[in-house]
Amino acid sequence: MKQKIKQTLMATCFLLSGVIFAQVKTVAGTVTDSDGVPLPGASIVLTETNEGSTTDFDGNYSISAQEGATVEFSYVGYESQQVVVGEGSTINVTLVQGNALSEVVVTSFGIKREEKTLAYSTQTVDSEQLTQARDISIANSLNGRAAGVEIRKSSSGAGGSTKIVLRGNKSLSGNSQPLIVIDGVPMVNNVGGQPGMWGGIDEGDGLSQVNPDDVESITILKGANASILYGSQGANGVVVITTKSGEEGDTKITFNSGITFESVIALPELQYDYGRAAGEDESWSPTKNAAAANGEFVDDFFQTGVNYVNSVSVSGGNKTTTAYFSYYNATSGGIMDNFGYKKNNLSFKQSTKFFNDKMTLSSNIILTEEQTDNRGPSGYYLNPLIGLYTFPRDGSWSSMKTYQTFNAATNVMDQNWVGNNHFQSNPYWLMNNQPKEDKVQRAIGSVNLAYQISEKLSLKARASYDFANKSYEQQHAAGSNQTNTGSNGRWDYKKFNDELFYSDAILSFNDNYGDFSVNAIAGASLQQTTFGSGVNVTTGSDGELFYANEFNFQNIPANIQVQSTLGSQIEKQAVFGNVVVGYKDAIFLDISGRNDYASTLAGTGNDSYFYPSVGASFVLSQLMELPSQISFLKLRASSASVGNEVPYNRISPTNTINASGGVVRNTQTPFTNLKPEMIETFEIGLDLRLFNNKLGLDVAYYDITSSDQFLSLAAPSGSGYTSYFVNAGKIVNNGIEVTITNSIIDTANFKWNSTLNITQNTNEIVEIHPDIANLGTGASEGFQSRFQKGGSIGDFYTKMFKRDAQGRIEMVDGTPLTTATDELGGNAEPDVSLGWANNFNIGENLSVGFIINAKFGGKVFSQTESMLDGNGVSLRSGQARDAGFVAVNGVQGGVAVSQADPKTWYQATGDRIGIGESYIYDRTNIRLSQMSIAYKLDPIKLGLPVDNATISVIGNNLFYSAVAPFDPELAMSTNRNSQGLDNFNLPSTRTIGMNLRLTF
Amino acid sequence: MKNKLIYLLLVVLVSLSSCTDDFEQLNTNPYQITDESLKQNFNHIGAFFPSLLKPIIGHQTHHNLINDSYVRHFGTPTPFVGGVNNTTYYIRWNDNYWNTLYGSIMSPSKQVIDIAEADGYEMFVEWANLIRVVVASRATAFYGPLIYSNYGKTPAMYDSEEDLHTTFFAQLDKIVSTFSAKTDYSGFKDFDATYNGSIPHWIKLANSLRLQLAVRISKVNPTLAKAQAEKAFKDPGGLITTNDDNFNISLYGTPMQEVTISFSWGDTRMSASMESILGGYDDPRAGKYWDSVDGSLVTDHPTFPYKGIRNGALLGAKGLRQPYSNISSNFKTATERKVLDAAEVHLCLAEGVLRGWDITGTAEAHYKMGVKASFAYWGAGGVDTYLANSTGTPLNYDDVIAEGDVNDFTTRITNTVAWDEAASNEIKLEKIITQKWIASFTNSVESWVDHRRTGYPKLPYNYKNDSSTSPFGTVADDDFLRRHPFPQKETTGNPTGVADAITKLSNGKNEIGTRLWWDTGVESNF
Repeated sequence: MKQKIKQTLMATCFLLSGVIFAQVKTVAGTVTDSDGVPLPGASIVLTETNEGSTTDFDGNYSISAQEGATVEFSYVGYESQQVVVGEGSTINVTLVQGNALSEVVVTSFGIKREEKTLAYSTQTVDSEQLTQARDISIANSLNGRAAGVEIRKSSSGAGGSTKIVLRGNKSLSGNSQPLIVIDGVPMVNNVGGQPGMWGGIDEGDGLSQVNPDDVESITILKGANASILYGSQGANGVVVITTKSGEEGDTKITFNSGITFESVIALPELQYDYGRAAGEDESWSPTKNAAAANGEFVDDFFQTGVNYVNSVSVSGGNKTTTAYFSYYNATSGGIMDNFGYKKNNLSFKQSTKFFNDKMTLSSNIILTEEQTDNRGPSGYYLNPLIGLYTFPRDGSWSSMKTYQTFNAATNVMDQNWVGNNHFQSNPYWLMNNQPKEDKVQRAIGSVNLAYQISEKLSLKARASYDFANKSYEQQHAAGSNQTNTGSNGRWDYKKFNDELFYSDAILSFNDNYGDFSVNAIAGASLQQTTFGSGVNVTTGSDGELFYANEFNFQNIPANIQVQSTLGSQIEKQAVFGNVVVGYKDAIFLDISGRNDYASTLAGTGNDSYFYPSVGASFVLSQLMELPSQISFLKLRASSASVGNEVPYNRISPTNTINASGGVVRNTQTPFTNLKPEMIETFEIGLDLRLFNNKLGLDVAYYDITSSDQFLSLAAPSGSGYTSYFVNAGKIVNNGIEVTITNSIIDTANFKWNSTLNITQNTNEIVEIHPDIANLGTGASEGFQSRFQKGGSIGDFYTKMFKRDAQGRIEMVDGTPLTTATDELGGNAEPDVSLGWANNFNIGENLSVGFIINAKFGGKVFSQTESMLDGNGVSLRSGQARDAGFVAVNGVQGGVAVSQADPKTWYQATGDRIGIGESYIYDRTNIRLSQMSIAYKLDPIKLGLPVDNATISVIGNNLFYSAVAPFDPELAMSTNRNSQGLDNFNLPSTRTIGMNLRLTF
Repeated sequence: MKNKLIYLLLVVLVSLSSCTDDFEQLNTNPYQITDESLKQNFNHIGAFFPSLLKPIIGHQTHHNLINDSYVRHFGTPTPFVGGVNNTTYYIRWNDNYWNTLYGSIMSPSKQVIDIAEADGYEMFVEWANLIRVVVASRATAFYGPLIYSNYGKTPAMYDSEEDLHTTFFAQLDKIVSTFSAKTDYSGFKDFDATYNGSIPHWIKLANSLRLQLAVRISKVNPTLAKAQAEKAFKDPGGLITTNDDNFNISLYGTPMQEVTISFSWGDTRMSASMESILGGYDDPRAGKYWDSVDGSLVTDHPTFPYKGIRNGALLGAKGLRQPYSNISSNFKTATERKVLDAAEVHLCLAEGVLRGWDITGTAEAHYKMGVKASFAYWGAGGVDTYLANSTGTPLNYDDVIAEGDVNDFTTRITNTVAWDEAASNEIKLEKIITQKWIASFTNSVESWVDHRRTGYPKLPYNYKNDSSTSPFGTVADDDFLRRHPFPQKETTGNPTGVADAITKLSNGKNEIGTRLWWDTGVESNF
C-alpha cells in the first residue's frame, strides 16, 4: 500500500513537473565498452518510469527524457551506470566490464551480438593477431588461430590462393570454401585456375586482395547455424571480415614498414654423384661419373626473396563524421629469380550522422591492383623444377645458364638443354622465355544507410558493388620444348570481369518486456553476380601461331578459337528473419528462417525454397549459484538446415560451337527436376570460464549432414550420356572443436595469453547415388581422387604393390608387381589439427608471440619423389647404388628376395606411373608457424615525434618436422581435386624479417 | 510515419521477391548455341555431324602408341614411363578409343538420333547409325565385347562380339535400304565434308563396311561372312572401288595427328617393319610415307634412305633415334585422312575370292587393283614394276644406334609382291594381307585386326616384352598383344556389366593375351 502511494505521488510529481517544465526532449548517444567498442542491445531505462530503450548495432540509442531524469545504462556483464539528464541532448556512456563475461561478436550482416546470446560457436581473431606476422595474404594469418578451420596455402608463392575449409568438406561437387563477407556484405573470392598433374599455375583468389592492415577483426561463423541468414552461400560457413573505421577524436596516423626475407627450407633429397649411362637420358649410371664441379646445384638455384610491406592509415573524425583512409603496398621477390608480386591497395571509409544523429550514412571504397609475374607452376609440363631436379648429373650445370643457342636453320633462338624429354626444360629458359603475367584490378564500393526510426526500431539499407578485371597471359617462346609449345611458340590469354552487386534492407526491433528481451530482424536481399565474362584464347598443343614469337590475336590461325567466356551469371533474392528472445539475460532462444529465390534453379519449380534454424543458449552462471571458481558457464545447442542452389547453367545447358564450325552436342542428361542441396547441422557446445575468466574452455560438437547433393556424374559408358546431374548423395561430417584460452599468468611484469585450438573432424560419404559406387574427381596417371561410398572426401587411390599372403612383394625378373587397379592410398585430411597461439608480455614494452601448428594423421602423395626415383636422381637411388642393392621384402618364384637392383626397382616404382604405394607419406607434421618479438620504443626518450613506436622481428613457417619429404601443408591446388598431391610444387619457404610500426 | 516505413519496406521485400521472371534467361549461357537457335537454316540436326565424324580417328594414345605400334606402322623413339608402356605390352593408356566411342559418338549421336526421329528426319537417323557402326566396329577390335544394343539402359550390359557384328550387319541393312530409297536426298550437303552430301557415296561406304566386317569374321563364322560379303558385293549401290569413292574424313583445319606427334613432339618415327617391308619390296610409296634420313644411318641399304625404329624396342634416350625417318613432311599440308578406301575394298574382295565367295573377278585382278588403287591414292609411280617383283623380300633390320644385335631382327617374311597363281591360298592371302598392311598406312585399325586374324604380315615380335610384370596378363615372347582390357572406370563403375562381359571373352580373362572372337588362334586360314 505504502508503495502504491509512493508511486502515485511520484507519478503525480512527474506529471506536474512535466506540465510545469515541459522539458521533455530526445536524449541520444552511444554506449561503448572501455575499448570504445559499441555495445548493441544495451538497455537504457528511465529509473523513474521504467520506460526504456535499447542500443542499436552500433551502440546508438535515443530516448525521450527530461532534464533531471535518471537514466540507467546496463549491459550484461558490465557494471550498470546511472546518469542524470542535464542540459545537453547527448549522453555517451562507457560501461566497465563486470565479472561475468560479455563479448560482442559480429554475426551475419554485420550485426553485433553479445556472445552469450549465441546458440552456435564462433571465433574471432583481432587485427593485432592477424597482422603480427605481416603475411601478405590475410587468409594465411588465420592458420592455427581458430578451431575447425583448415587452411591450405598454395605452394605458388606470395599472393597465391588459399584453401579454407570450415568443419570439413561438405560438398561432393563444390569446393566447400566458405563465404567471405566484408563489412556485412559478400565479397567475391573466386579461386582462379589451378595446376593439375600435367601442369598449370595457381591463379590466385580474391581474398589476397584485401589489405591486411585494414582488417579490424575476422570472425569465423563455422556452422550453418551461424550463417543461415546468408543462405546458401553461407552453407560452408562464413568468414566475416570487419574493416577499420574512422574514430572520433584526434587524427591518428599509423604507419607500418616491413621487410622480410624468404628462403627455401625443404628440398627433396637428391644424389649428385651418378650421371647417365651411355645412350640414356636418366641418371642411372651404375658408377659414379658426375662432373664434381656441379656441386649441389639445386640448393644454389633458389634465391632469397625479399618482400616489402608498407602501409599507412589515417583515421579521425568528429561527432558526426568519421573517416578512415589507408594505402598499402606490398612487393615480393620470391625464391625464383623471375617471380614478382606487387599489390597496391587504397581504402577510404567514411561515416556521417545527420537528422539529429538518427540517420547514419557510411561508405567504403576499396581499390586494389595486384600483379603477379611468373608465379611458380606445379605439375609436369613447363615447370622449371623438373629440369632442375632431374638434370643429368654428368652434365655441366653451369653451361645451362647459357639457356639459349642460336639456330641458324630457323633464325630463332632455341633452348639449350641436354636430352629430349617432354617433361624437362632448361629452368633458366623457362624462367626467361615463358613470361606469365596475372593482373587483377579491383574496386569494391559500398554504401550503408542506417535510420533509427524509433527507440526500438531501426532500418538499415545498403548496397555494394564489387568489380574486378582480371587478365592472365602467358607467352611461350618458339624454340622451347616442342611437345609443350609448338614450333612457333604458344600463347595463352584470358581477360574477364567478375562482378557482384549486392543490396539488402534490414529492419530491426529491440525491446524488453519485464524479464524478457526481444531482438528481431527482418530483411530482404538481392545479389547479382556475373563471373568470368570475357575472352579466352589458348593455342594448345596442336595449335601453331602463324609467325614465331608474336603473341596477339592477329597471329592466331583459323583452327584456334577465340572464345567468348562466361563463368556464371546468377541472381539470388532472399527474405529472411531472425528473432532472439531472452529471459533474464540468461536463457536465449534464437529462431531464424530464410527463403531463397535462385536463378540457377529456374524452370525446376524449386527455385524458391525455405529453410529454418533454431537454437538456444543457457547461461548457467547467471541462472544458478555456481562455485566461485566458475565465472561463466554457458550451454548452447542449435539446429539448422540450409539450402544450397546448384551451379550456373545446369538445368538446360546447350551446345558449343567448335573451332571447325561444327556443333558439339551437349551430352548431359536433361535435368529439370533439380532441387536445392540441403545441409543439416546440429551443434551443441559449452563455454566455460574459470578463475575470473582467466581460463576458458569452449567445446563444440557438430554433426553436419549434406544431402541431395548436386552431382555431376561421369556417366557409365553405357548410360546414353557422358555426364548427368543428380540430387543424391549424403555426406556426414562430425567433429569436435576445443578451444582453451589461458591468461592465468597475469602479473604486472609478465603476462601469458594462449589459445589452444584442437579440431577433429570425421567425414563419411554415406551414399553417392544408388547406381554409382564411386565418383572420380580427377585421375591422372598414378594418382586419382575418388569419392567412394563408405569412403571420405579426400580419399586418393593409386597402384599398390602386389603382395603374397605373407605380405611380401611379388616380383618377376627383379621387378616388383603391382595391383591391377588403383587401390585406396589414404585420405588427405588430417585426423586431428592443433593450433597453439601464445603471447607473452614481458615488462612494459616487450611482447613475444608464437604459433605452433600441428596435424596428426592423413596421407599425402608425392609424384615428385616418384619422378626423382625414375630418373635416378633421388638420394635414395644414389645410396642404393652405393650399397649395390635396394633392400626389399620380396618374393620371386616362391623364393624370398631381400635385394633388388636399384635401377630395375626404382624404374618400376617410380617415374610417371609407378607403384604409388612407395610415395604415400603420413601428413603428420608439427611446425613453428609464426613467431614475433615486438618491442615498444619510448618515443619521448628517443625524441621521436610519434605517439607510439613498435619494432618487431617476425618469422613465418620457421621450422617444421614432418614424415613426408616435402611440406605436406602446401597445396598444389586449392580446389577440390589433387589434395595432398605434390608434383614438383615449389618448395616450402621460411620468411624472417622485421617491421616498424609508428602511430602519430 | 513508422507504419508507413514498415509498409514501404514490406512492399520492397515483396517486389524484390517476385521479379524472378528473367531467371530462366539468366541461367542460360549466351555463348552456347541452343537447339532453338540451331533451327535457323535447319542446322539443328546436321550441325552435329562434323563433330561426330572428326573423332573417328584419334590421337597419340588412341592409335599412335597403341595399334600403330602393335601392327608396326610407327615406332616411338621415346621411352615413355621408363620405357615400360603399351609398346612393350604394359598397358599405360587404355581408355582413349573407348572414350571416343562413348563420349564422342554414342552419347551425342543418341541425342541427335532422338531429335531426328522426333522431327521425321530418317536419313539423318541412319547417317548417325552408320557413324556408330564405323566407330563401334573399330572399338570392338580393341576391347571385344561392348555396350551397344543395351546402350542407354541400366545396368549397361555388354554384347558379345558375335552379337555385336550381327547387330552391325542388321544396322547396315536398314541404313542401305533407307539411303537407297532416297538417293537424291540433299539434306547432308552442308554438313558433309567427305561426300558433299552425296547419298550414293554413303551407300558405297555402308556396303564396303559390310564387306570389311564380313572379311573380319571369315574364319570364325564363314557362313555369315560369305552371306554378308556377297550381299555387300551385289548391292546395287556398289562398293568403294575408286579413290574418288574413298571414305576420307576432313581434318577440319587441324594438322594431321601424326604430324604433330612426329614434328612437334618428336614422339613417333617410321617403324622398323616399314623399313623392312617397304625396303625389301623396293616400294615407291616409301617416299610418300616417310622423310629420308642421313646416309650414315642406312649403310646396310644405301639406296633405300629410310630408317625405322623397332616396336617394343629397348630405347634409351629419346634423342637417340630422333634422326630416324619422320612421317613425310608432305603430310603437313594434309586436309583429310582415309578411313576406308578402294585399295582395302579390292584387297578384301581378293580374299573373298580365295574363300570361294560369289564375287566377280579373280583374286589376282582384285589384288592388283588394290595395289594400284593404293599407289594412285598415295601418288606413287611404278606400280607395274612393283607388282612384277617376284624376288624382293623384306629386309633384315639393324638398329644402328643400339649396340650389337639389340633391337635387330631377321624378317620372317619370305613371300614376294608378285602374284603367283600357282601358289597356295595361304601364300596368296599373305600377299593380300601384306599389301593391305602397306596400304592402310595412317589408318591401321583393320590391319591390326587382319594381323591377329590371319597372322599376316609376319611381323617381328617385341624385342622388349614387359607383360610379365604387368597386371594385365602376359604375352609370350613369340606372340603379340591380342586386345586391351576393359577400362578401369568400367571395372569399378560398372562391375556387373564387366563381370558379364568377361564371361563373353574367349578364355574368360580380361587380359591382353586373350584372343578376340574372330582371332580364332587357328594357324591355317583356310
